[in-house]
Amino acid sequence: MFLIIVEKSNEVIYIKITKIAKAGTLESNDILIMVMPNDSGNIELELESIVMQQFGDVIEQVILHKVKEMGIEGITIKAQDKGALDYTIGARVETAIKRAI
Amino acid sequence: MYGVIPNWVNLKDPKERDEVEAFLQGFDLSLDQDVDYTIVIRDGVSQEASIIATCSKARNVLKCFAIIEEHRGEGITSILISALIDKLFSQGIFHSFIFSKPASAHVFLALNFKLIHSNEEVALLENGVYDIYKALEDMKENYNLGGGEKTALVMNCNPFTLGHAYLIEEAAKNNEEVLVFVVEEDRSLFPFETRYELVSKGVSHLKNVKVLPSGEYIISSATFPSYFLREKGARLKAYVELDSSIFAQYFCKILNITQRYVGHEPYCQVTRAYNEALKKVLPIYGVKLHVIARKRFKDVSISASRVRDLIKQGELDDLKNLLPDVTLEFLNTPLGREIVEKLKSSCSSH
Repeated sequence: MFLIIVEKSNEVIYIKITKIAKAGTLESNDILIMVMPNDSGNIELELESIVMQQFGDVIEQVILHKVKEMGIEGITIKAQDKGALDYTIGARVETAIKRAI
Repeated sequence: MYGVIPNWVNLKDPKERDEVEAFLQGFDLSLDQDVDYTIVIRDGVSQEASIIATCSKARNVLKCFAIIEEHRGEGITSILISALIDKLFSQGIFHSFIFSKPASAHVFLALNFKLIHSNEEVALLENGVYDIYKALEDMKENYNLGGGEKTALVMNCNPFTLGHAYLIEEAAKNNEEVLVFVVEEDRSLFPFETRYELVSKGVSHLKNVKVLPSGEYIISSATFPSYFLREKGARLKAYVELDSSIFAQYFCKILNITQRYVGHEPYCQVTRAYNEALKKVLPIYGVKLHVIARKRFKDVSISASRVRDLIKQGELDDLKNLLPDVTLEFLNTPLGREIVEKLKSSCSSH
């Protein structure tokens, strides 16, 4: 498991999430994403994966890319990966965030 | 296994309930009374097909989990757990516990549950948006707890008596900083808010005492179901060990609690077993346990259960020798009178 904190930037207008929400399952080839608001304004990611050694960095990139693309700030993400492909990860993150806005 | 869909069980339908009961019996398990949601997976799509797996929950505790031998290793566990986590989220519950046999804990560890504690009989795991470390760090911040050495008491205070007040005063006299954890689980006659308020008011003259809600990790239906179910035997022993260990391993370590005070228990078997477990477990973690003799009135120990008995028998005059002013005043409020009436017509031990 590792923890990443992306500091808030001041240049762009960001959207905040307001609720706790989840998307995905714990089944093989899927990923469970839980998102919750935090007060710090940062993006905090806690990632666990069965393929952490091989793909930990890539999974992290995909998640953070999606969060920034959606313009979200002040979010804590808990991701429990069971070997999901990139587009699955992206879809699960997007759904979780849309449920949390 | 592809395309498996969990089915919801209507527990109010005796036929459906009996079917799950019968299935669980094959695994030496039973469907606990407090279960509020159950799902099953069947061997096929028809309602007549036999059950191959089931799982239930009681609020945020997942339990009564079983899969037949032939279908293990097909990912059914993850389907069941995912379905229950979905249900919990839809109910606004973002954190859950699982009780399992220690030998099966690995199944849930693989599904990202984290082990809190395990002994010979039972393992407790958790999963969700926070964990025990985060809960304790939050407690530290919210109640402004410093790093100094502390003394702790855990009390249900159902209701707050002169016995409780005496115990807290003893601890406050001999120690610099005292924490009183009031059991938060709302399964007692007096609701948590009332119990918490009465204790807070009752000890407000003691400047070195802080009153805190116990949270989910002390004497809750997750850590100590027997306290509320009044179980006996091996399960009771396992649960008191579990609760004591969690207190020592996490609370004492993170909050720097070096001593714990408990009242000597003359009546209740469950509380006595709990005191015995504390006596065994706390020293292992370098925490000192003080068992204080109960405050007595006319040669009888003061206890909340005795107070409840007196209320039940309608002997309200005797209460002024057992209860502090705050509790006596409360019994005269509309809510207090309602509780007195409820007690008179009930037979529960809580």
